Amino acid sequence: MNSNIKNKEIPEMKYIIEKTEETDRVTQFLKIFAAILQETNYRPALEQFIKVSAKCAKCTTTCHVFEHTNDVRDIPCYRSELLLSVYRRYFSLEGSLYARLFGGFELTEEHISKMQYSFWNCTACRKCVLECPSGIDHGLLTHLARYILAEMNLTPRALVISTREQLHGETGNTSAIPFIALKDSLEFLEEELQEMFGKEIKFPIDVEGAEYLFFAPVSDYLMEAETLMGIAAVLNSAGVSWTISSKYYDAINYGLFYSDLVLERVLGKIEEEYHRLKAKKILIGECGHATRSATFLKSFWKHGEAPELVNILQLTHKLLQEGKIKIDPTKITEKVTYHDPCNISRQGWIIKEPREILHAFCKNYVEMTPSGQENYCCGGGGGTVSIDEIRKYRTLVSGQKKAEQIRKTGAHYIVAPCANCKKQIRETMEDNNVDGELLGLHDLILKAIIIE
Amino acid sequence: MDSFLEFLKGPFFRFSFAIMILGLLRIFILTLINGFEAKSKAKDKQLPMNYVKKLTIGYVLPIRAFRTKPVYSFVSIMFHIGLLITPIFLFDHALLFSNSISFSWVGITLSKEWADNLTLLTIFAGTLLLIMRVSDRKSRFISRKQDYLWPLILLIPFITGWIAANLTLEPETYKFYMIIHILAGNIIFILIPFTKIAHCVLLPLSQWITARTWKFVPEAGERVEKILGKEGRKL
Repeated sequence: MNSNIKNKEIPEMKYIIEKTEETDRVTQFLKIFAAILQETNYRPALEQFIKVSAKCAKCTTTCHVFEHTNDVRDIPCYRSELLLSVYRRYFSLEGSLYARLFGGFELTEEHISKMQYSFWNCTACRKCVLECPSGIDHGLLTHLARYILAEMNLTPRALVISTREQLHGETGNTSAIPFIALKDSLEFLEEELQEMFGKEIKFPIDVEGAEYLFFAPVSDYLMEAETLMGIAAVLNSAGVSWTISSKYYDAINYGLFYSDLVLERVLGKIEEEYHRLKAKKILIGECGHATRSATFLKSFWKHGEAPELVNILQLTHKLLQEGKIKIDPTKITEKVTYHDPCNISRQGWIIKEPREILHAFCKNYVEMTPSGQENYCCGGGGGTVSIDEIRKYRTLVSGQKKAEQIRKTGAHYIVAPCANCKKQIRETMEDNNVDGELLGLHDLILKAIIIE
Repeated sequence: MDSFLEFLKGPFFRFSFAIMILGLLRIFILTLINGFEAKSKAKDKQLPMNYVKKLTIGYVLPIRAFRTKPVYSFVSIMFHIGLLITPIFLFDHALLFSNSISFSWVGITLSKEWADNLTLLTIFAGTLLLIMRVSDRKSRFISRKQDYLWPLILLIPFITGWIAANLTLEPETYKFYMIIHILAGNIIFILIPFTKIAHCVLLPLSQWITARTWKFVPEAGERVEKILGKEGRKL
């Protein structure tokens, strides 16, 4: 894509919000900020960040949004400063004293509107955090700003509606899938698996005392059949004791993107099912943010200590290493590449496992550049993928770097073990005419697994 | 001029040096306290220590410096080397300290040649940093007043120091340069704890503080709702 600023048309990044009450937003913002500072652990980070910033602009070299728009308002450090200037002026000793003596920044309605959109331009992928010598976590500040804005009901409607259904709705999940529909779907997949392998491979439901209580991003049950079939094939083949809960079966947690309150409440639903079914461990399917959200179980677990959390990539890797599953190394001959979902790779967590799995049966594997911890965001991170009205922004701006990376690999299969990344990258590839098939890791395993 | 110079070398130097040491000590200790308080409020006390250590060491030492903007990083490192080594290991400064405190490092000071070269390196690198900041659109957009002023202020003691040490000056002119040199140095000491130069003690704590912050406080969200009068309200 031509990055000449003059010729580029940058699609608007304007999401829809539900109608809010007209009120003094400045006072509202500050009241909420004060309450959050009082009860949470954000103050130490804010105190640190207002003091150490060197304004070196190193973050500009690594942000997929800025690298495309070249708009100075997309500089991560500038965006962070939108929130830090509020903290410095109203909540820090030195800042408020300085302001009383010399004046300076004041929070205005206009500034709040700036923050309202700017913090959703960011996908909170935290690639910039790896490059900031001062150690400022721009992703953390994006999260915090969005949390304050969420308390003012200034959150993209798409996310609020899904979360409302998940927490208060009858179906109790973000895609509003009732259990009866889920059960039908699973029975259909079991039939498919029976046809493929001539063997009964089941999705166990409500098994008490299972080793793994499994949560997939609920959208997978409707849209990523092959990922789920691949997971079921792996787990059944290895004789793993696992189950899905009939009462709550959604790993998705938008709270990670915009609200600590939502994050904790949604995780509470996982804990409830864990105790009900007396499971031993929590297993999350192919989803980056769902896995990272679930790491907060340790912070929010109410009764006792949180159980072990495992992502399916880690489990499949372990089973492969132990020889409990067999994959035919001759089945996949096409070129394969791997996209690292930010939420499981940015801090160096799950990087080698998916690669070792792929190397075991994909002879024609090629890395993206950069890869691993430094891989680029799909462009739909931080919840932005769920906001359909900004698709053009996501695919033509935010997703450009990913499109370039994929094109350069020339891969046929692009493996992305994350529900959000899958939707985003598929749409990006479509809107940018990038060839290839985007699928999950277990989709690929399904094509080559040997079931005896 | 003589009494002013004596004032700058004596009481004002002691005052400004104390402000710097106490100021830095204060924010370092407060940051530690903040971090440990965050630990006590959190239920999950575990940190990704490998990641924290890797990034802390990577940025305190110039290991990760060249990943991005390598030219800027190189100039910055040269500037820091000159900035730190020259004043501390200058023979004249070491002698001044040994006259007033019980230990001395006069034995490990720089030769005049090294001192002069490092001073010129610092001046050159500092000027380059300023030029790079001013000439880059992105840097200009995010820079504050202090980001432009600091390279200028820091250059003053180095320029005046080099002049005083190398040029043959009339006694009154020499005293004038010394006044500027010491006054600038003292002002720098006072400003350090209150500006971004505080990064000299805070930078090593950044990754740790951030990691602690990501360990959220249980039920904080609900308590925030209560404070805002939204308890029990649905989304």
